[in-house]
Amino acid sequence: MDLRTLTEINAPAGHEQALRRALLEEVRSMGLIPYLDRMGNVVCVKEGTGPAPRKRVMISAHMDEVGLIVVSATEDGFLRVTPVGGVDPRVVISKRVLVGDDNLPGVIGATAIHLQSAADRRHVLGYNEIYVDIGAKDKAEAEGKAPKGTYISFDTKYVEYGDGFACAKAFDDRVGVHTILEVLKEDYPVDVIAVFSSEEEVGCRGAKGAAFSTEPDMGIVLEGTTCNDLGDVPDPLQVCKAGQGVAVSFMDGASIANRELFKKALALGQEQNIPCQVKSSVSGGNDGGVIQRAREGVPVVVLSVPCRYIHSPSTVIKLSDAKSQLDLTKALLRAI
Amino acid sequence: MDIRNILAEAAAICGPSGHEMDIAAYFAEKFRPFTDEVKVDAMHNVIAHKKGTGPKVMLAAHLDEIALLVTKIEDDGSLRLGMVGGVDPRILPGSRVWVHGKEKLFGTIGALPPHLMSAEDRQNNYQLKNLHVDLGMTAERVKEQVKIGDLVTLDDRATELLNHQFACKTMDDRACVTLLLCAAEYLQKLHCDADVYFVATSQEEVGSRGAETAAFAIDPDLAIALDVDHATIPGSRPDSTVPGDKLAVSVGPYIQPKLCDRLLDCAKEHNAALTVTVAGRSTATDADEIGLTRGGVPTVLLSLPLKYMHTSVETIDLRVLKEGGRLLAHFVSELDAGWEEDLWI
Amino acid sequence: MFELLKKVLAPVGPSGLEGPVAAAITEEIRPYVDTIETDALGNLIATKLGKGENPRKVMISAHMDHIGYIVTGVEKEGYLRVTNVGGIGMDASLTRHVVFQNGVHGVVVCEPVEGNKQLRHLFVDIGAADKDEALKMVSLGDVAVYANDCFALGAHRVASPAMDDRCACALLVKLLQTLGETEDTVIALFSVQEEVGCRGAKVASFAKEPDVGIALDVTLWGDTPGTSQPDIKLGEGCAIKIMDRGSISNPALREELIACGEKAGVKTQREVLPYGGTDASAMQTSRGGIPVCTVSIPCRYVHSACEVIDLRDMDAALKVLTAYLK
Repeated sequence: MDLRTLTEINAPAGHEQALRRALLEEVRSMGLIPYLDRMGNVVCVKEGTGPAPRKRVMISAHMDEVGLIVVSATEDGFLRVTPVGGVDPRVVISKRVLVGDDNLPGVIGATAIHLQSAADRRHVLGYNEIYVDIGAKDKAEAEGKAPKGTYISFDTKYVEYGDGFACAKAFDDRVGVHTILEVLKEDYPVDVIAVFSSEEEVGCRGAKGAAFSTEPDMGIVLEGTTCNDLGDVPDPLQVCKAGQGVAVSFMDGASIANRELFKKALALGQEQNIPCQVKSSVSGGNDGGVIQRAREGVPVVVLSVPCRYIHSPSTVIKLSDAKSQLDLTKALLRAI
Repeated sequence: MDIRNILAEAAAICGPSGHEMDIAAYFAEKFRPFTDEVKVDAMHNVIAHKKGTGPKVMLAAHLDEIALLVTKIEDDGSLRLGMVGGVDPRILPGSRVWVHGKEKLFGTIGALPPHLMSAEDRQNNYQLKNLHVDLGMTAERVKEQVKIGDLVTLDDRATELLNHQFACKTMDDRACVTLLLCAAEYLQKLHCDADVYFVATSQEEVGSRGAETAAFAIDPDLAIALDVDHATIPGSRPDSTVPGDKLAVSVGPYIQPKLCDRLLDCAKEHNAALTVTVAGRSTATDADEIGLTRGGVPTVLLSLPLKYMHTSVETIDLRVLKEGGRLLAHFVSELDAGWEEDLWI
Repeated sequence: MFELLKKVLAPVGPSGLEGPVAAAITEEIRPYVDTIETDALGNLIATKLGKGENPRKVMISAHMDHIGYIVTGVEKEGYLRVTNVGGIGMDASLTRHVVFQNGVHGVVVCEPVEGNKQLRHLFVDIGAADKDEALKMVSLGDVAVYANDCFALGAHRVASPAMDDRCACALLVKLLQTLGETEDTVIALFSVQEEVGCRGAKVASFAKEPDVGIALDVTLWGDTPGTSQPDIKLGEGCAIKIMDRGSISNPALREELIACGEKAGVKTQREVLPYGGTDASAMQTSRGGIPVCTVSIPCRYVHSACEVIDLRDMDAALKVLTAYLK
């Protein structure tokens, strides 16, 4: 399954059904046996070719993306919403969305600039002032089409552009999902526990359950991470750069990389000419934090594809970085 | 079951987070007639087990209450205060409290009177550091009676208003523990295969620590957490409150959607009024921690509407409480082996 | 105690890189315990088997890790940009001598700013001429800590960086060395990554399934100019924690420890801390939950390069713990 297909599937945190179904089918078509666990993670264990006892390595990428959820309808039929995961209200204005499982189109508008006072222009709209318009004529129609609790996704098509870049929603973390699917096509000496995790964007809930129940010896987290490499940004604040390869983290808000794995990943990259860079910021958190703390403790390393404008309707990656993530993951699985 | 009596008796028992020994003992006795085995664990969780051969279901509501505690005894015998859980300092000036020292002592919370404040200071609310408890005793006697860390609880008088509205402290969440008791009693009348654990949890107000460990120990197949939610009052913001006259079920990423649908269907089937409320992220209840136990526990959250949360006049509707017991009993009695089919598809 | 303290304070061991601390402690405790192991996150776990029938397992933790500055970037002139590992404060960061695990020294400096000084304004001067030279000396992800500088302050007190929580590590080492036979099995946990969220204690308590947990950590003070709470004074004995943000001590265990102090003839103080947390929080909620309490060493200027403790409080803590286990 390619990145276009993966990013155009809607799977906001807590409502990953569509992607879950697609992944179950895809993994089955590869001759492997996936299962769903009680957190709604799609898990597939691929036995290693090495002699037993083999290390069990969990590779995880999260299925879910950020989105919105309907909290009520106004008398005149607009939908009031709240974010699911971290969506900056400043990026949703003037965007198209898809509402519910039937992908009902909607738009997010705002007071026209002509009608704004000087103070209005400075004011950041909060979610209590932002509405999704599905064209409903009144409250009853809005509630019928999009009852409370209906999930909403950005309506963004996948586009390749420039010198090998691509723009789509949800590269965080469909790029990791794509990498796992590719990883599963080959054999490794270790047992690979592939986890497509749920609900990362609302607190890494899926991976916490999966790491407990699958009891891995080691974890490799495949992510899309923030990158801030354009414009007038001083070098140390860029986090990582699109096009410079997969980013290896030494620490983030949720985990400290196992030092040996961190060094090993960088050394393998150098040896095998896989472009990689060090993620130079301690920020955010991901499934690595909960995997590290599962049961008796698990060494983890996080390999990320630099992703511009993360958590917005239009995220951007350089496709060669996705390739580097895949190559380095495979190299690590063979070298452990 | 005399609900009013249970609510009032429970409110009068001191049981702040981490100190639920007495309130746990009280509810343990109340669960005993309706269950096969009752125990209080190391965290002061009450775990009442009604044995069955079907799915293992955990029903949880929390025992603990928010409170204050003594952080310093001033030379004049006044007591400085800290918080156990989220106490709103605005409710404290002029409040009557119980100080649980060697003996249970009556106290009042004092503050600098407005006459002695600048006009500017009068525009600000009192902060906890500026308040003190006055025990009406000499400093010497205070120091004999009270130690740092002694608990201070709010006035525990119960008042019944019009239309079955009942006001008292600790309705958050002992009203929901009482709802569990109602469910346990009602379940006596129904057929039930499920293996049911009624759990009154500890330390919810400081982060659901009791629910976390109880759920680990029980290892349930599924769970229902019960807590109070803000009922609509004058001036409350839309979407941040629920109607005061019916139960509410939460939807959102922390809630298992198919179980939620099942609860809504059950309510329809049995004519129980149940509304939906949306939690875009965490629910800030025991549901969050229970859902994350071990490999994960499909969990839903059922809420009892309550006005004036974290005050000494938390107000609930007794009819809604009873209705919750009935709904929960039916839900549990109708749980069959097929509950888990297509849970995530 | 002072000599032991100096040995345990010396190694450079920021959160996530506690290896050298574990090595120093291992050397001190080897003859006194039955087993020593290191787990996947680097926790050092030493077990002293109890002689009783069906002995209880009492886990006592002290964390090895130290707050620090992690390198996130290098300016072309060779200055390091850093961010915090654990609770680094700005006041404590102004022109400080720091050292990396590989021995490279540096000075943490704040660039001139109007208004609020923030972590992003800090840089570390390691004497490098440019970026290339700097990257030969340190790598991205390396961590600097306040350089070891331990000295006696008056008759009873000691000042040093890393007192949080190496003083408790030294206390736990001393306890193992002096305890002798006990009914209970004692699991001494020298934990990792406490300063970033008690991660080590979480996994170690899951693995070892203790029946009771006692965390040894430093606590804040209220006896210097401009402070009044918490109501804790240096030299007035160890503090028995009633609660902090991370845990509420089991009331029965807490009273038992206070009674142990009375029995041993040492002073204890009752501690209510409105912030912070210790390994007790992780132990308490592990698996099915256990009774926990924290025994605190009052410590002034916590999370600075000059953390001050009173050796008499260390002695009180040692006697409380010994009385509890005997």
